[in-house]
Amino acid sequence: MNIRCARPSDLMNMQHCNLLCLPENYQMKYYFYHGLSWPQLSYVAEDEKGHIVGYVLAKMEEDGEDNRHGHITSLAVKRSHRRLGLAQKLMNQASLAMVECFQAKYVSLHVRKSNRAALNLYTNSLGFKILEIEPKYYADGEDAYSMMRDLSAFTADSKSDCQSTENLEIKSESAIVSQC
Amino acid sequence: MPPSNPLPPKENALFKRILRCYEHKQYKNGLKFAKQILSNPKFAEHGETLAMKGLTLNCLGRKEEAYEYVRRGLRNDLKSPVCWHVYGLLQRSDKKYDEAIKCYRNALKWEKENIQILRDLSLLQIQMRDLEGYKDTRYQLFMLRPTQRTSWIGFAMSYHLLGDYEMANSIIDAFRTNQMKGPYDYEQSELLLYQNMVLAESGQYERALQHLQKFQNQILDKLSVKETSGEYYLKLKRFKEAEAVYEDLLKRNPENVMYYEKLVEAKQLSSPDEKVAFYDDYKLEYPKAIAPRRLQLTEAYLPVFERLIDEYLRHGLHKGIPPLFVDLRSLYVDESKADTIEKLILQYIDNLAKTGVFSTKPDEVKQPASALLWAYYFAAQHFDYKQDTTKALFYIDAAIEHTPTLIELFIVKGRIYKHAGDPVSAYEWLEEAQAMDTADRYVNSKCARYMLRAGHVKRAEDMCAKFTREGVPATENLNEMQCMWFQTEAAAAYQRLQRWGEALKKAHEVDRHFSEIIEDQFDFHSYCMRKMTLRSYVGLLRLEDVLRSHPFYFRCARVAISVYLRLYQHPLQDVPQTQEPDTENLAPSELKKLRNKQRKAKRKAEQESALAAQVQVKREQHHKARQQQEQGDPEAPQLDELVPDKLARAEDPLEQALKFLQPLRTLAADRIDTHLMAFEIYFRKEKPLLMLQSIKRAWRLDSQNEHLHDCLLRFRTWLDDKQAGLPTGVTTVIDKETQPMFKGRSPQTMAEEFVAGPALRSQRGALWGARALRRLQPAPAPAALALATRLDLPGLSIQGCVEVLESLRAGDFGECEKETEQYVQACRAKFPHALAFKPDAPPADDAQPGDFALDN
Repeated sequence: MNIRCARPSDLMNMQHCNLLCLPENYQMKYYFYHGLSWPQLSYVAEDEKGHIVGYVLAKMEEDGEDNRHGHITSLAVKRSHRRLGLAQKLMNQASLAMVECFQAKYVSLHVRKSNRAALNLYTNSLGFKILEIEPKYYADGEDAYSMMRDLSAFTADSKSDCQSTENLEIKSESAIVSQC
Repeated sequence: MPPSNPLPPKENALFKRILRCYEHKQYKNGLKFAKQILSNPKFAEHGETLAMKGLTLNCLGRKEEAYEYVRRGLRNDLKSPVCWHVYGLLQRSDKKYDEAIKCYRNALKWEKENIQILRDLSLLQIQMRDLEGYKDTRYQLFMLRPTQRTSWIGFAMSYHLLGDYEMANSIIDAFRTNQMKGPYDYEQSELLLYQNMVLAESGQYERALQHLQKFQNQILDKLSVKETSGEYYLKLKRFKEAEAVYEDLLKRNPENVMYYEKLVEAKQLSSPDEKVAFYDDYKLEYPKAIAPRRLQLTEAYLPVFERLIDEYLRHGLHKGIPPLFVDLRSLYVDESKADTIEKLILQYIDNLAKTGVFSTKPDEVKQPASALLWAYYFAAQHFDYKQDTTKALFYIDAAIEHTPTLIELFIVKGRIYKHAGDPVSAYEWLEEAQAMDTADRYVNSKCARYMLRAGHVKRAEDMCAKFTREGVPATENLNEMQCMWFQTEAAAAYQRLQRWGEALKKAHEVDRHFSEIIEDQFDFHSYCMRKMTLRSYVGLLRLEDVLRSHPFYFRCARVAISVYLRLYQHPLQDVPQTQEPDTENLAPSELKKLRNKQRKAKRKAEQESALAAQVQVKREQHHKARQQQEQGDPEAPQLDELVPDKLARAEDPLEQALKFLQPLRTLAADRIDTHLMAFEIYFRKEKPLLMLQSIKRAWRLDSQNEHLHDCLLRFRTWLDDKQAGLPTGVTTVIDKETQPMFKGRSPQTMAEEFVAGPALRSQRGALWGARALRRLQPAPAPAALALATRLDLPGLSIQGCVEVLESLRAGDFGECEKETEQYVQACRAKFPHALAFKPDAPPADDAQPGDFALDN
């Protein structure tokens, strides 16, 4: 499996993967909106034939300078490709990009209360914390956990200067590893 | 410029308020002010007010009135830029972009420097890819508003899109130095990367590299900086530097396959041994990464491969990684690798079952009980891949017995049955899997797809309905969500069921999604210029240019084209009127029975139509609700409802087929099926030059193709028949161009040569060869039949046999009931699970000729 940043030509196949895997679906325009507003933030996992087997669709919430944070609109991995650690790897790549390109302080997401597998991934593997319960968040009436993950480990010393990027990346990389 | 037909101050103030209301979407108020002006008899025919009233009405969804008012306004004031602009906006909202462009141009005639109109015009030009026109308009906007950044960006971009990289680059340079004053933010960063893209596309990698290095401190997107500079270094053959960049990139993302490939290139490794050693290094450096371990397997050969795959398999089975087989499947092209895997997996199973370890070696570690399960699971998929149904079923059953609660096992069991030709058992096992985890949409989708493969459309819809919005039919919700996998599968299922209208409806639905996605770009033309995400925007434009090259489009187009061809050949009869049976000669008791039956049927029909009416009402309510919900675009044009029966009775099926074909001719020109379908259409339209063109294109792709041979033969025969009536110019061209293909042979010789050679290379070849024989006069029928039904040729498949069977039943080979029965039996012996050959199998219904079967 290959993990890389998504391109405009991936967006249709991401939609296809989404429709196969998840109950929350969006029209193509919404994917375009993500890909054209924050092109660095969405990632795909593809198999050798170039078929998308997993993706993360992400965006920035730009409500105020000091509350800049990323948001995961949708994350899916085909059931046929579970337990390769793809979701985790996709999320970490997207998070690093949020920090680098948009100075995100944290990343947020929603997850169905009943989705124990996802909840487990977010809390145990990715260091997300439950912020609150949003009642009836989903169209079918189910509650959502609103969750967030602090990204300061990715930020490390990005403030100092763009010159020291080498440093930054090694550190943020070790941050990724430590959280896996 | 003053309005051509000015209003006095009071009315003029009102008019301005209409404009404001329009901008702020206060349409009701806008209408009120329009009424105030128009109710004054002096201004009842004031053009611009009438036009604005029309535009406002359009926003309220009152399309017909809108056109009426706008046109009346325009008639009253043909020199008003406002009226023309409004008419353009109206056309634009109806997606009549060409018309809208004309209107804007007229508006600009009367007011050359209207920024708003120029902007609107530029949007339409880029949407329609009128790149020259776009450049002119962007130039004007630039001259008129040199201080606005979008003026600069659009100006530069128009040159870039035309391939004038120098000009584009200079404009961006000037813009950056004059207009962009720190701080270095995301937009600055994106602009620099866009400029770099322009330089790279001009082929000046050295310059692009320097540009990147010079500005890298101002670029936030570090990943792009590294990925592009790595590419430049490689292009410039500066391998050491390239190496460093990709090493660095791997630290970021050790799962990126391309980085490893580029590193191999940078290190100039070529022999398998070198590459294997290369991946050894990265396995050590990134012990958690899968990519280096997996990529190594592709490079390695025996005996090294055996050691590596042994390690890889053990790891996967120990950990219990379900996609292990899927991950390794592509190695199977190398038979020796497949054999090695088989040997190992059987060895594991043997040892795990007996002693719980992988091999008989003394230092083996005891494995968890699940290792055996995963080994069974792997073996089942392995043998399924090798089309050994018996062994595949044996291992999957062993796995299920081991752990009866694992969903993956049932999915694989279903797949084994699917491959064995039993789509019904296949979906039943998927149903089983689905019931075990109803919250998993992936399993649900798979199950629905299998149902479609088995021809159970309704059941598939009900399955999907578990995840679609409540209160709306599943198909409607799936259509709204542009769920193309379902719609293409359903189209194919309906085609197999010979429900032509339904198949066409699904194909048209998919086609409409593509149109809609092309429309979607409209808003991004201005959006991306503000956001500065220009690289992605160019990516979007290029994607949209080839959007219909997507496999979903190809599949739906293929269904549509073959259905339309079929309907051309066999138009649907009008709905048969139920005939009154001859009641006079019936005995009273029989008559009574008949009346009862009729009464029952009538009652049932009434109930059904009442139900249908209810559904219709619900649907309308839903539509209304949705329209209200989507206040965003009440002006959008209403598309005709797709009615299956109407579609199946299209007056011009060949024209309809051509519409689906057209995009493929440029976007799927590398697929031979495109040109074969084109031939089939033009053959029926009797267009010799287009037939020739299709054949030539197909010939270039694969001169040995079996279907192509059939096309050649029919073309030859057709020419023999019609040549006399063709203009000499045409026949000269055809003679010259077909020379390498016909080589002066008669149809007879062509068919005989094909049958003696290429036809024997595969099952498919034999079928087409047999059809070729049948086209001869007189046709050697027994020989053709014998050829078609051969089961000893390479490439034998269930699908191939089904195709032959359909051809037999359709009468392609004349009366041959006995031979057909023998063929079915022979197929059954070869494929015991396949439903198509079971004795009680539903026959291919009232067998109809296949898509491109004999028809002349």
